[in-house]
Amino acid sequence: MGVPELLQFVVSGLKNGAIYALIALGFSLVYSATGVINFAQGEFYMLGGMVAVWAMRSLGLPLLAAVPAAVVVTVAVGALVERLALRPRRFEPPLVLIIITIGVSMVLQSLARHLFGPDELALPAFTPGPSVVVLGAAIERQTLWVWGLTAVALIVLWLIYTRTKLGLAMRATAVSHDASRLVGVDTARVVMVVFALAAALGALAGVAVAPLTQTAYDVGARIGLKGFAAAILGGLGGPVAAVVGGLVLGLVESLSVAFISSTYKDAIALVLLLAVLFLKPSGLFGRSSREKV
Amino acid sequence: MGGAWRRHLPAIVSAALAVVVLALPLAVSDRYLLKVFMFVGLNVITVAGLAVLFGLAGQVSLGHAAFVGIGAYACGFLTARAGWPWPAAVVAAVAIAAAGGLALALPTLRLRGHYLGMATLGFSMILGIAFVEAKAITGGNDGLSGIPLPAFGALDLDPATASYLLVWGTAVLVLLLASGIVRGRPGRAMTALHGSEMGAQACGIDPIRVKVTAFTLSAALAGLSGALYALTVGFVSPTSFALETSIILLAMVVLGGTRSLAGPVLAAVLLTLLTYVDAILPGLSKEAVAFLQDWKGDIYGVVIVAVMLFAPAGIAGVARTVRTRLGGSS
Repeated sequence: MGVPELLQFVVSGLKNGAIYALIALGFSLVYSATGVINFAQGEFYMLGGMVAVWAMRSLGLPLLAAVPAAVVVTVAVGALVERLALRPRRFEPPLVLIIITIGVSMVLQSLARHLFGPDELALPAFTPGPSVVVLGAAIERQTLWVWGLTAVALIVLWLIYTRTKLGLAMRATAVSHDASRLVGVDTARVVMVVFALAAALGALAGVAVAPLTQTAYDVGARIGLKGFAAAILGGLGGPVAAVVGGLVLGLVESLSVAFISSTYKDAIALVLLLAVLFLKPSGLFGRSSREKV
Repeated sequence: MGGAWRRHLPAIVSAALAVVVLALPLAVSDRYLLKVFMFVGLNVITVAGLAVLFGLAGQVSLGHAAFVGIGAYACGFLTARAGWPWPAAVVAAVAIAAAGGLALALPTLRLRGHYLGMATLGFSMILGIAFVEAKAITGGNDGLSGIPLPAFGALDLDPATASYLLVWGTAVLVLLLASGIVRGRPGRAMTALHGSEMGAQACGIDPIRVKVTAFTLSAALAGLSGALYALTVGFVSPTSFALETSIILLAMVVLGGTRSLAGPVLAAVLLTLLTYVDAILPGLSKEAVAFLQDWKGDIYGVVIVAVMLFAPAGIAGVARTVRTRLGGSS
């Protein structure tokens, strides 16, 4: 295999990896604030793509308006899910909340089929045109959008986390809800904001990738699984770990297509994941914690 | 009311229920309805194992449908392709599923909570791919067909009744076994482990042994359910063992309530019947049935969310509250 072919696989792996990273980031944010794995995370991705297509086709919005509209709608859904379905039970063990998110994801998926139909849909490319060729590897323009939007999302998130009072409250909530409330942090509101942010990240991924791969009402489960795997691979340890986990997963998948077989691409990625879990149970970057009696 | 009567009440109720369930084919002539009740029994078998694993040992599995799949394919292959008699095939299928459970349990012992969930999820996804790709055994996406219906020697029952009795007869035995575990020493050990691992160790409980036993047992029961599924349905396809199935199974256990066997079993019965609502309410119009099937995902999801919102301790939790309010002490 020559350098251009190999590079082509790397590009494809980093493209999927960026998407996985955004989803994993959503998982990681919600997990650190609540201890809950949000099984509806994949549905935010689905909603992003589907709402954008619907806004263009049924409302006649231009792409430039449909994309932000889709993100805003999904953010509203994310905040509503937290407020209506999760907050009333926030003092229950995480597993109760996890089962609630599973129920929510069923509802969202089924509602999307009723609202948007069962067909596969696609968005037009953000900037149509020929691929960019780098060292013999062709990079689709939309892939550049995926990377660009991922980078912007990461920077914005980092700024929120480190430079704002809200970010400080989010970091405090992640450490301890009780202690945060003692010093005046409205933790319920913080958790709602975290869900909204996770929804925004999911929707952004869904919108960015919709021109490349078609979207449909049932794409959420698969991408949610990949994002969950990426988050676990990173060790649910924080934003950087989630992003690295996503990129590693994307690259491994793509390179296993290149060197082994496309049939077993998912299996190979999962075997790697299991191997990491068995050898280092807290993920690549997770800190091992000792349980206290 | 005498104390002895009260103490034996659960056993009497269970025995009466078992008799009613096993006698049901005498009252139900509708073949489809009988088949639906049979599916309920299959889920009850799997859920009993999961209830022991999750409710008692506190371990989460997001991949139990894979063990159902192992049992179904093993039993289907051995009877349809290798010509084994069905009882031997069922025993072998259960053994293979148990071995799979053991193989997954040993390396995942160090994992807890979400990491264990992910490992079981990954395991089941890998098996899901294997079910499609190992065409020589599983028939790939076309599925494995031509599995002969079990024969009962001299007994000449019609196939629907025979399948029903096979499944529910097994389910009753499984529930007896599971309640023995729940009440007995292993159940207490698991409950202790659930509370505090170090505390349990201090009382002389070997957490590794308990966890591995619970996992292997639940995998074996899932395999048993799969084996019976293959025999009674006569066809196995990979779509039956997808992630959704694992999640629905876990949802049944959580909706039923932890530290209970009756709760999860009841939840398994109700959630399975919810899927076949057209069979249990025969008076429904065609439009209503079509509507219900079209909105199945929403109804299922809303039911799950609603139960968790209004009764987070599940059916068993509601039962406990009612008992306390009535002033009973048990």
